Amino acid sequence: MTSVLRRNVAILQVLVGVVLVLTSPTATLMAQMPSPTHLEVVALRQPVIVKLFGASAGSLDSYGTGILVSKEGHVLTVWNHLVSTGFLTAVTADGKRFPVDTIGTSAEHDAALLKLKTEPGETFPFVDLAQATDPEVGASVYAFSNMFRVAAGNEPVSVVHGVIAARVPLEATQGRWKFPVKSPIWLIDAITNNSGAAGGLLTDAAGMPVGLIGREIRHASSRTWVNYAVPLTMLKPVVDAIMAGKKVDQKPKDATADVAMISDKDLTAKYGLTMVPNVVERTPAFVDDVAKDSLSGKSGLQRGDLIVLVEDAVITSITDFQQQLATFRTGQRVSLTINRDDELKAIELRVP
Amino acid sequence: MTRLNQHSSLLLFLSFWLTSASDVHAQQTLVQRESARVETIGRISPSVVCVMAPNGEGGGSGVLISADGFAISNFHVTSGSGSFMKCGLDNSKLYDAVIVGIDPTGDVALIQLQGRTDFSAAQPGDSDQVRVGDEVMALGNPFLLASDFTPTVTYGIVSGVRRYQYPANTFLEYTDCIQIDASINPGNSGGPLFDIQGRWIGINGRASFEKRGRVNSGAAYAISVNQVQLFIEHLKCGLIVDHGVPEFTVETVEGEVVVSQVSELSEAWRRGLRARAQIVSFAGRLVSSANDFQNVLGIYPEGTRLPLTWRDKEGVHSATIRLRPLHDFQKAPELPEERKPKDEKHPETPDDQKQKFEAPEELPKELTRLFVERDGFCNYHFNEVQQSKLLDPMRARIGAKGDPKNVWQISLASSGSETKEAKTPPIPLTGELTIGPTAAGLKLDGVPYLQNAENPVAAEEPAQLPGLLTAVLQLRKLLSGEKAAFNEQLAMGQTLHLPLQQQVRILVTREGARTSRWYFTSESPFPVGVDVEYGQGIDETRLVFENWQESENAVFPGRIGIVAGVQEQLIWLTMGEVKVKQ
Repeated sequence: MTSVLRRNVAILQVLVGVVLVLTSPTATLMAQMPSPTHLEVVALRQPVIVKLFGASAGSLDSYGTGILVSKEGHVLTVWNHLVSTGFLTAVTADGKRFPVDTIGTSAEHDAALLKLKTEPGETFPFVDLAQATDPEVGASVYAFSNMFRVAAGNEPVSVVHGVIAARVPLEATQGRWKFPVKSPIWLIDAITNNSGAAGGLLTDAAGMPVGLIGREIRHASSRTWVNYAVPLTMLKPVVDAIMAGKKVDQKPKDATADVAMISDKDLTAKYGLTMVPNVVERTPAFVDDVAKDSLSGKSGLQRGDLIVLVEDAVITSITDFQQQLATFRTGQRVSLTINRDDELKAIELRVP
Repeated sequence: MTRLNQHSSLLLFLSFWLTSASDVHAQQTLVQRESARVETIGRISPSVVCVMAPNGEGGGSGVLISADGFAISNFHVTSGSGSFMKCGLDNSKLYDAVIVGIDPTGDVALIQLQGRTDFSAAQPGDSDQVRVGDEVMALGNPFLLASDFTPTVTYGIVSGVRRYQYPANTFLEYTDCIQIDASINPGNSGGPLFDIQGRWIGINGRASFEKRGRVNSGAAYAISVNQVQLFIEHLKCGLIVDHGVPEFTVETVEGEVVVSQVSELSEAWRRGLRARAQIVSFAGRLVSSANDFQNVLGIYPEGTRLPLTWRDKEGVHSATIRLRPLHDFQKAPELPEERKPKDEKHPETPDDQKQKFEAPEELPKELTRLFVERDGFCNYHFNEVQQSKLLDPMRARIGAKGDPKNVWQISLASSGSETKEAKTPPIPLTGELTIGPTAAGLKLDGVPYLQNAENPVAAEEPAQLPGLLTAVLQLRKLLSGEKAAFNEQLAMGQTLHLPLQQQVRILVTREGARTSRWYFTSESPFPVGVDVEYGQGIDETRLVFENWQESENAVFPGRIGIVAGVQEQLIWLTMGEVKVKQ
């Protein structure tokens, strides 16, 4: 009798355990508290979104979105051309404009952490990434972003709705750029693949943070526009590390080993272009010297120019530049975007 | 062992019950919500219109607003159809329709379906109450999918409210609109947006398109029903309705709306508005950005008088200003190529989906008589209808009493002016007003004034009662009861009268440089007021009328109020009995 009872208690415990495992902490919380209405979710999350304005480059837009992730004004966004070309301004929900510093980036996660340059003591509403949750496939979600730059100044950003369609690894591209995140991401059925939406916030129906809305990219094989978000549970340790001052932006070495690239020698011989010594892992793509009558010289490149884009691809290092350049064939036209004295210029080359 | 089995089955049952309790609750809610939605769609579908050219080409959507067949669509939908169109309803039947009025700037058109007096109309909601996140349904005819005209329903949420969409390369400007994520595709244009209760809250007409071409991008815009409502009565008058300008420009400076330039000929300038003043509110709405200001401005028809509050070094000021015409279209404007409705059809739509009709038959007379072409109008027939509604009851009451050859003599007395806040100390005035066919005279506290009817001169008006003589000469013409008393007259829709704060119907009359707006309500055949406009740079004369008296040989208001000063106080004149000299 006693043993039977014990056994039953054990079964009960197992069953309760199963129930608890199946129910995420948020859902348990929801069962206890009345779930927030859609109006409450919107009111809670719209103010944590910032509108980002920067430089347009090629076909890429000059605007985007970011999520406030700290009281002090840290902003999480996608590491796209807006961040790399600099000149970023953030507009908070109340319409205030802030210059922005880039605190850290992670190519592997396609994420960048920015910081608003604020008055001392200034605080902001923010999303606590510790609350980040991984909802079930099929769960309802909201996507907050400044797509199409519909909202100006203090106007609230756009909200669209949908469901989580899948959590899968994504193979996708944007021009010659390949989506670098290897772990599974959220696919969503809401249209978030829109101008300026990248860097927006995906929440579940209760407003809990779920994902960082991704770029305008196409699936590598189907060529369809992919609506996706990078899980915030994945990004939280990255943000924590950057905030703690740790270096996170390291590509696994073997990942780049077999990628074709133009050698330093060829760059000088064929293009008449010499970059600054490539001493650290991510030496910025600064031009050290340009031979006068060379291809580069004629195109207008100058010593001191920082190459920020090759076509639509963001250049994060000299190695990156040499790899991107190698993807073009002889005779093709390549558009470079450079930063010269804090001004962006477009330069065109024909591949020799 | 048996015992264990018993227990485990109990536990299994218990665990099933535990996990399913919340699901059952959710399912019930879901089922209830679904059946409520199905019921709502069934209720609202009969009001949805499929709008096509007479030969069945093109195709957009619309929504019925009254049992007599008036329906709202987009201007860019109807502009391709000409004056007549074919409209399909969800009962699979086709109806003839005629164009009534257009608002090219707001991208709105009013048509009237024929053949029934019991059309099912949509019930408008209050679009100012729409909130981001609210569920919405868009009904219409995307890609001309339904050959039986059953509307396609798409569902979404409100993504933004009070959005401003620039007139990108065109004059079609979307102000104060509702942004939604429901799928909006070619053919949805002109169709209704409903809230989840089935209240009509907008007209779907525009979307942000980019790399996907002209199909749904998750960002579409609906003209708010509150804006449409402000134009419906204007549209019913067969007009090409214009939007307005305030004759000053604003910019956003650190969360404030700051005036950048003011035209010196504007009413705002005469009320004291200058550059660098901060606009606090416009039309009763607080504004904090230039977009806010544009959103308020864009929802009103030209000619609307709106209250404006601003702050400058001297303090806070309020006045009302009348919006001047923005485009002043004399004809329906041409749409730019990319907005023409023939493009509404999705290029990938197979041709076999297309509605096939015989070549347009000769239109029946009962239909063609509903369209009268005239410069400056969309369809003059409907203006004549509205003019009759305004003027026939008054003419019937006046009869022969208004004979313009008669001279009317009326005593007047004023006990001073009164504002909403306080009565000013009375300034007693007494006088004798004489109105003849060619001139009006006034003896005011013994001082004589004489104004001629043909070319009135401001200097001849009494300083205490500016414009009174010119205005009563206009009134005398109206009260002649003659059909062609003025060079031109037209019905002009409806507006909120200031300072009466009352919905009034407008009749505009023109004669020489004078444009008079007469205001009517359903309570009386006689007008409740008139605003006489002399031209740019000159203040209007604004009168209100009360206590209409009908004697054997004349009709005249028993009380006339003159709207005067920046504070718009009313100076009331008590009028005596009309003495008629033949």
